[in-house]
Amino acid sequence: MLGVGGQRPTDFDFDLIVIGTGAGGGVAAHAAVSAGKKVAVIEAEKVGGECPNFGCVPTKALLQAAETYEIAKHGGQLGVQASNVSFNYPAIKAWKDLAVRHTGTSEGEQAYASEHITLISGHAHFLSPWTISVGRRRYNAHKFLIATGTKQIVPPIPGLAETGFITYREAIDLIKPPKSLFVIGGGAIGCEFTQLFNTFGTTVHLADFAPRLIGQEDPEVGELLEALFASRGITVHTSARITRIVKKGSKKIVYFEKDGQTHEASVEQILLSTGKAPNTDLGLDNAGVSWDHSGITVNRFMQTSSKHIYAAGDVVGPFRFTHTASYQSRIAAHNMFHTKKKFSADYKAVPRCVFVDPEIACVGATEQRLREDRFEYQVGAVPISLIGRSNTSNMDTGFVKVLADRYGVLLGASIVCPRAGEMIHELTLAIQHGLRAQAIVETIHAFPTWSEAVRLACQKIKSR
Amino acid sequence: MKHIVKRAGHTESYDERKLYASVYASCLAVREPVGSAELVAKEIVRLVGEWLNNKHEVSSHDIRLQASKHLKVINPDASFQYLHHKVIY
Repeated sequence: MLGVGGQRPTDFDFDLIVIGTGAGGGVAAHAAVSAGKKVAVIEAEKVGGECPNFGCVPTKALLQAAETYEIAKHGGQLGVQASNVSFNYPAIKAWKDLAVRHTGTSEGEQAYASEHITLISGHAHFLSPWTISVGRRRYNAHKFLIATGTKQIVPPIPGLAETGFITYREAIDLIKPPKSLFVIGGGAIGCEFTQLFNTFGTTVHLADFAPRLIGQEDPEVGELLEALFASRGITVHTSARITRIVKKGSKKIVYFEKDGQTHEASVEQILLSTGKAPNTDLGLDNAGVSWDHSGITVNRFMQTSSKHIYAAGDVVGPFRFTHTASYQSRIAAHNMFHTKKKFSADYKAVPRCVFVDPEIACVGATEQRLREDRFEYQVGAVPISLIGRSNTSNMDTGFVKVLADRYGVLLGASIVCPRAGEMIHELTLAIQHGLRAQAIVETIHAFPTWSEAVRLACQKIKSR
Repeated sequence: MKHIVKRAGHTESYDERKLYASVYASCLAVREPVGSAELVAKEIVRLVGEWLNNKHEVSSHDIRLQASKHLKVINPDASFQYLHHKVIY
């Protein structure tokens, strides 16, 4: 009956059990209920998952406060004088908490109840392919969706655990910015917190073992960001290896090697942003689900090696964004209950944003990947200083770069520009649907907007 | 009380002495000194106990995997012995 021991149960408690209530799980749960299925969701932490509680939403709310403070401080260049511009960090934290509440995660339990979705709190553990244990109870279901997300990787740096550190989870809840901070990891999270705390007066060191920041994107992106950070007084250490950390009084001394020499930095706090590992500790072997260090293995239909178990979100990859998680969740929900026409995941046009100032947004292929694939490509790039909006906004640092094949079909793009996160979607649409750069050139772009730079970059691509 | 789901499907209470004994025997089988084998077995029981903390029910296979994972770091030969003793003997 319960299916423990490997046998398939004769009847099920639920049509679908979703493990995890983040974007990867929640979307499928709601879709399944809309299709008339009996659904349960299991959550070990806060309802809503990482993004609204600890990730995108709180950090973007804090960065918005930082941007507002920065604009107020520098209004004088545009003739706007604001005297005694200051900030109240507890009030900024209160604003962040309000933004998190507005996402509706605090009403998450009621939202599930109103849709007749059973919410089960606790850690889920598979006992067999059809049975899961949560607390003292067992549940079985016809289908499962695993969307358990990721957890912070703590690198084996001598002295790190003893000295103590914070991650993004603690960083969003600080009641005052630290006087000095050493950020380990120059990816999106590390760069965003570097920007945030630097704006509020923290002396920031940012270190990464990679030769540049945002290392997975085109080199120009990381190089420009490093230059911008340096101009703001941030000390960036690329190609740096942290060798040990020692606590000295109230300070933490970080020792690192760079260019064959040992350097040290004395700071109040250490922020770890060294990447994330998938949460796979849920008895996957008992369920016959294949997984490795990078996550659960799925096919293009989001199906695991156990055909009735699907997986979506950060626990799967290859991208760890809220938008890819919800995309995968939609695909999984469809494929579970529609056997005639299945949807498959397509990652050729996934927008990737870093919310620093100016914003960074990329989509599709990078130059490095095209070179590795020995793909013949052409590049069109323009600095944003060429366009009218740059003049009227008094902002001239940034660029738009597009990559296209020899026929002019767009393959990838990188933008460093204010509102790059908005601008990237024009190129995302073009790449998704295989459009040529010429199609964007022939499209009228409003003057004066930042998006004019996209058109100008596409103009540099030759169509054959 | 933690419960272990056995291969046949029935459950029994988690008994750390059984885990201790099997790890200890695996260590001895690969010529680990008695005193060291005791310390290793104690450490493995502690680590598996920590892992079990947020779980009420796991399978015996899970216990085997967790124990061998930690044992592999301390003594890879003992870990292999622990995981495959049924095939070896």
